[in-house]
Amino acid sequence: MWTSLTSNSNFVGESLLKFADSTGIAGFFAAMGWGNIVMIGVAFLLLYLAIRHKFEPLLLLTIAFGMLLTNLPGANLYHTELFAGGHVHWDIFVAKAGLLDYLYLGVKLGIYPCLIFLGVGAMTDFGPLIANPKSFLLGAAAQIGIFVTFLGAYAIGFTPEQAASIGIIGGADGPTAIYLTSILSPELLGPIAVAAYSYMALVPVIQPPIMRALTTRKERAIRMRTLRPVSKLERILFPLIITVVIALLLPSATPLVGCLMLGNLMKECGVVDRLSKTVQNELMNIVVIFLGLTVGATATAEAFLNFRTLGILVLGVIAFGLGTAGGVLLAKFMNLFSKEENKINPLIGSAGVSAVPMAARVSQIEGQRENPGNYLLMHAMGPNVAGVVGSAVAAGILLSFLG
Amino acid sequence: MLSVMDWGWSEMLWATLISICLVFVVLVLLVWIMKLFGGIFTRRQAAVQSSATQGQLHEEEIAAITTALKLYKSVLHDRESEVLTILSIKRAYSPWSSKIHGLTQMPFRK
Repeated sequence: MWTSLTSNSNFVGESLLKFADSTGIAGFFAAMGWGNIVMIGVAFLLLYLAIRHKFEPLLLLTIAFGMLLTNLPGANLYHTELFAGGHVHWDIFVAKAGLLDYLYLGVKLGIYPCLIFLGVGAMTDFGPLIANPKSFLLGAAAQIGIFVTFLGAYAIGFTPEQAASIGIIGGADGPTAIYLTSILSPELLGPIAVAAYSYMALVPVIQPPIMRALTTRKERAIRMRTLRPVSKLERILFPLIITVVIALLLPSATPLVGCLMLGNLMKECGVVDRLSKTVQNELMNIVVIFLGLTVGATATAEAFLNFRTLGILVLGVIAFGLGTAGGVLLAKFMNLFSKEENKINPLIGSAGVSAVPMAARVSQIEGQRENPGNYLLMHAMGPNVAGVVGSAVAAGILLSFLG
Repeated sequence: MLSVMDWGWSEMLWATLISICLVFVVLVLLVWIMKLFGGIFTRRQAAVQSSATQGQLHEEEIAAITTALKLYKSVLHDRESEVLTILSIKRAYSPWSSKIHGLTQMPFRK
């Protein structure tokens, strides 16, 4: 027995070596292994920001965990080659796919962003927008950042499709950014999603200095007229009208706007409370988990650790800032032609970037700093929800040009 | 038409300009539709409110009448029988309402 054990010492060595090679630790010593270590560090940083500082925790936590999973060598949960060239390689899919590859199909096929919009629609009150339709203009002005950044990204060497995906960060709307990027430039999905959600969490930091720089104390103290009450019938007809108009003018924006308005109709009609509650809670939560994990999984070391990511982060914050400035400046411009009693507080213009309801809250806080008795929240909710529609329209236009 | 791959600065600038204009056109159209739509509803509401108020009392008159009624009623008292009766209360025994079962038992010492 001893002889038979000692005669196979080579086998033991080879087996142990084979086992060592199969572990994830060996993967760290392979090519780009250092990149995995860096990405795991980034994932931990994002987890820290989500848990400790509550930066968009619902999405940042799942994105960071997806990032962690995809960068653990040997886990084989996500394979970039299955989605190379912007297509799903069905011929090798079943043989090679890991758990996150299957879940990623929801992003790739544009399902998750639309389902998220369904929930967003069911949670959104369009009343302030119906009461003051001029808010749509502020929502449109805040999309300026998207298009200026589109040009800026092209200028520094991104392709038009990539430039459009980077520009849409300025819309401050995560699902729209993910939807457009997954179609136009899926290779940038990870960095763009991280940038979009990080900047949305940083709205209270990014927006106030721009708002203060562009307005005078007198403008910030403007009190707006109380909004008129909106009847139930108007609330029911609103999603139907918007869906029909947008679908006829911009069919490429219909998946997003259609789902947003369906969710809203469920809420407002009052006869499908069960469905409304489901899309607001259970469905939304499930999709957020899948979306976050899979978007995080696309942030592999190869895709994330390059100068492009740095460019995306810089351009993203520029897009965001320009969007904020666009809304504020248009509000000031509209005031030039308004009667004294109809003047708009320019602070609500910044809420035209979506980031619902954070951007509206920032307008309220900034307004109260100047005049504690000024309540701008409901006025700011108008441009805020108009921004959701506006960014979906902008995405639809970019898709129709570049898709 | 050029494919996106062949786009140069001229195409990019035009695409940007057209896109911005389209966003505004679509949203201005929505403003008009919603204003028209809102106008119909506000006029309707105003018509309903004015027809409802015709031949009815003014809010201040209603307030004055209700205040007068409140003051008048607050002075009035109900006539009472002035007979006080104590009814005997008897509860059927049940272990659920038993006092002895509800108390903590003293520890048993030998």
